[in-house]
Amino acid sequence: MTAPPSDPPAPEEPTREDIRRVVASSSLARQLRAARARAKPSGAAPRPRRRAADGVLPEPDKLLSRINALYDARGWQAFAFQRTVWAGLAAGRSGLLHAGTGSGKTLAVWLGALQRAAAHPADGLQVLWITPMRALAADTALTLQHTLRDLDIGWEVGLRTGDTGSAERARQSRRLPQALVTTPESLSLMLSHADARERLAGLAAVVVDEWHELIASKRGVQVQLALARLRGWNAGLPVWGLSATLGNPDHAMQVLCGDGGLRVAGEIERPVKLDSLIPPRIERFPWAGHLGVRLLDAVIAELEASRSTLLFTNTRSQAELWYQALLEARPDWAGLIALHHGSLAREVREWVEAGLKDGRLRAVVCTSSLDLGVDFLPVERVLQLGSPKGVARLMQRAGRSGHAPGRTPHATCVPGHGLELIDAAGARRAVAAGRIEPRTAPEAPVDVLAQHLVTLALAGGFDADALRAEVMGCWSYRALDDATWAWTLDFVTRGGAALQAYPDYRKVERGDDGLYRVERADIARRHRMQIGTITADSAVEVRWAKGGKAGGKAGAAALAGGRLGQVEESFVGRLRPGDCFLFAGRVLELVAVRDMQALVRAGSASRGTVPRWAGGRMPLSTELADEMRHLVALAAGGEYPEPELQALRPLLELQARWSALPGQDERLVERIASREGHHLFIYPFAGRPVHAGLAALLAWRIARRAPATFSLSFNDYGLELLSARPVDWVAEVAAGLLSEDGLNADIEHCLNAAQLARRRFREIARVAGLTFQGYPGQGKSARQLQVSSELLFDVFTRHDPDNLLLQQARQEALCDELDAARIARTLAELRSATLRLTAPPAMTPFAFPLLVARLRERLSTEQLSERVARMVAQLERACDGVRP
Amino acid sequence: MTEILIAGERLVLLPERALWWPARATLMVADAHIGKGTAFRALGVPVPAGSSDDTLARLASLLERHAPRRLVFLGDLIHARSARESGLMQRFAALHSADCDWLLVRGNHDAHAGVPPELALTVVDEPWADGPFALCHHPAPQPGRYVLAGHVHPAVRIEAGGDRLRLPCFAFGEAVGLLPAFGQFTGHADQTPTPGLHLYACAGERVLAVPHSSARRRGRA
Repeated sequence: MTAPPSDPPAPEEPTREDIRRVVASSSLARQLRAARARAKPSGAAPRPRRRAADGVLPEPDKLLSRINALYDARGWQAFAFQRTVWAGLAAGRSGLLHAGTGSGKTLAVWLGALQRAAAHPADGLQVLWITPMRALAADTALTLQHTLRDLDIGWEVGLRTGDTGSAERARQSRRLPQALVTTPESLSLMLSHADARERLAGLAAVVVDEWHELIASKRGVQVQLALARLRGWNAGLPVWGLSATLGNPDHAMQVLCGDGGLRVAGEIERPVKLDSLIPPRIERFPWAGHLGVRLLDAVIAELEASRSTLLFTNTRSQAELWYQALLEARPDWAGLIALHHGSLAREVREWVEAGLKDGRLRAVVCTSSLDLGVDFLPVERVLQLGSPKGVARLMQRAGRSGHAPGRTPHATCVPGHGLELIDAAGARRAVAAGRIEPRTAPEAPVDVLAQHLVTLALAGGFDADALRAEVMGCWSYRALDDATWAWTLDFVTRGGAALQAYPDYRKVERGDDGLYRVERADIARRHRMQIGTITADSAVEVRWAKGGKAGGKAGAAALAGGRLGQVEESFVGRLRPGDCFLFAGRVLELVAVRDMQALVRAGSASRGTVPRWAGGRMPLSTELADEMRHLVALAAGGEYPEPELQALRPLLELQARWSALPGQDERLVERIASREGHHLFIYPFAGRPVHAGLAALLAWRIARRAPATFSLSFNDYGLELLSARPVDWVAEVAAGLLSEDGLNADIEHCLNAAQLARRRFREIARVAGLTFQGYPGQGKSARQLQVSSELLFDVFTRHDPDNLLLQQARQEALCDELDAARIARTLAELRSATLRLTAPPAMTPFAFPLLVARLRERLSTEQLSERVARMVAQLERACDGVRP
Repeated sequence: MTEILIAGERLVLLPERALWWPARATLMVADAHIGKGTAFRALGVPVPAGSSDDTLARLASLLERHAPRRLVFLGDLIHARSARESGLMQRFAALHSADCDWLLVRGNHDAHAGVPPELALTVVDEPWADGPFALCHHPAPQPGRYVLAGHVHPAVRIEAGGDRLRLPCFAFGEAVGLLPAFGQFTGHADQTPTPGLHLYACAGERVLAVPHSSARRRGRA
């Protein structure tokens, strides 16, 4: 089972060589091998040939003439927006430059920063370039350095991320380069050192790349806090953000630059081609069946037609499935197609990225892991598998293609089932109309602030009043009240609120001079380790099991071998040894889980259990939902404006005939009785998470009036309540079913908000320094600090219920997880809209996917397909029978 | 109260996560991890106080109710050396009475934490033979005796009617029986019942035998 039959019989203890041979049997192994061969010393700045770095810039006039000469030599034109940025930077202003990918944003800001530095000659670090992804940092550094070479400037561009090796770090600590590319975490880490001011106070400009990726996250808040510190040392420091097209650029700029920023839009929006792969025949009863790979043949034809294609999926499990399906259909493409998602080992991902850059790969199946990053010139085409879920996301993904001269970005939506054609058409219309999702910065997260306080206490100490003023200069903390500030300060000094000081606790201490400092070296070391670990979910490494007998009870004896990648702990937690799952493009069998490592071996030839990862759960955006509702309303009026809607016309007409298509200010509610019971279908078109919350809320409110049990089902389009007795919708609404009164309390009650808060607490505990992930290769001493955030949550709830971190967890659960505001809005729309209450003769095309989704929870895949096939046949008969 | 018969002896599984052996008037607890919160605070992690006192209060009420002649700790009594805060240790020592012997089977944490002199404890190494049982901390089978051990912090996930719960549990196998962790501030490791492994969950004021079917069927997406 572990080795292909052609191999010699495995000895008792497989050697490294054996393991390598086993790994070698997969196409992914080829990726790994090539990656190792290409492996370069990690972290060292990429060094193209260049003149010796003397750190000297030419005079401003000379620099400008060299820039002009470079433009002439390349046949480029300096676009007006570039000149605006240059002028802004020259005048010392901050700002935001937003434009699509490939429009020259990087060059515009880089050349502007150089000109500013030339006008104000100084020693040391001049330009700080913050980028959200480590993987991006190396490529950015390379791009910046190429420009320097072309301009014959003796500057050095350094790289400092979590991957930077100790030799390079030591070199930088002796002398920083003139420009440094880094991540938010590494910047915070630099701020934790006592010499930070000396090293960073002389900056000429700061650039924050891909600001749209950072703004809405806690990492974005970390950037805000770091910038506040830099501005404190250097009041006029220009800060420039680069961002993709956003729905709310003014907010994005306000958060980054404060008042008086200069907003610059890149004027050349490259035309983007968006279309759909329309199936030749559309089922009138759609369901996401056959794992959504029904359009496999059509997709293969598309792949054949272009040189290099990115296939984006919404979840990692979908990516694994498509990769498997493509390989099964076209075994000759082994090695020409690859898989890329955030769980795979870095070297594998780097190999894939290199293959995309030099055009060796025909296709790569990927997740949002490739949403960002350097441009892959050979990529001609993007396929979006399943609903794009958001307008900005589809634009971003489309922008990954068509960078070669004379090409335009081209993205094609491949619907998982018929109704997803509405998503595709809606997204295209929203792009055309410029209706893009806004992104808003988080409000005053206490955990990030607590971490920042300890960071600054490490760097020689802080004065409380001065720091509070500095922190309040950040948008996210602009309204920081006395109580929260005092609590946070108490939290890092005394452990809890003043009245409930924790005994024996010392972290940050107030010195005789009034400054707050960290005195203990062990706390300092742990905190520095902690800064770099703001990640989404705790991850378990997937490694080959080494040792132990194949096929036997290997778990006890197995050692950890080569690394395959990582998955969420929650996913591994649901598996038992012996279970098979798809990962990294192959079937793996779990041998054991130990020390945050999942040990695996090659699974048996049969299809593995399909993993369901938490990773990549994407809610439908409000903008896209509105567009979809509008399209359905157009169809209700007999208009079918887009090719996708044309294709869906038979389905939509059947929906109208059996039930109704809701108009713009109408909401559709269907009542259907079946052998199973009484179904109530509601279609708010507000996205799956909102429908999930709404379904639970409605069921809970109905059952409160008269005890009843419901089965619930929901998807992006609507929700279903199934009960033994019929629900009198009109009477329930009259009795306050949709009422706003007590809404938040009801939501907390029925949606297990406590459980969600407990889950949110995991990240909060890590950011605030309560849980500790440990050093790489740590000894025993740190083990006594290992504690699960769940356990901490219980202990806090019991012994310190007023802790602000608990409140933050509850707040995040309500706002981010449950999206209470959107549930309230959807409820309000249901109240105010005209009700279309219908009683269809059978399951309608809208209702059918909901029915299947509910069955899916209960049945195995095999049973499900049989049963669904039977139901579709019945419905088709009913449908033909009704036809005049 | 749930009773089981192991190696010919009647054992009572107490919902307070302790084991009562009536024939020898012996109370057993495993993995108390007293002072874990203190140890965390000493290392600069702000954990509220109170969990160790809760644990001690639970122990006190058990001692009062059963009036054991002997109290056996199956390892990991004190979480770490830094957990030996004197006030806490004194409150712990105050639970001792002259007519009850305290015995500690040394566990992995005890080796580092040491044994506070305040506590009148007899400390022994595993396996400690006692009637048909081998009293241990680590759950390794011992020839000729049924092992009672801790270390694992067993727990079970139970699912019924859409509701899910994770409860500390006893786990009795062919040759080894595991006690739940007694300490309040302790983590857990999930167990799955099989024909050879019987689980008893500590659910509030009761101990429930977990049938094979109601434990969460896992890993079948």
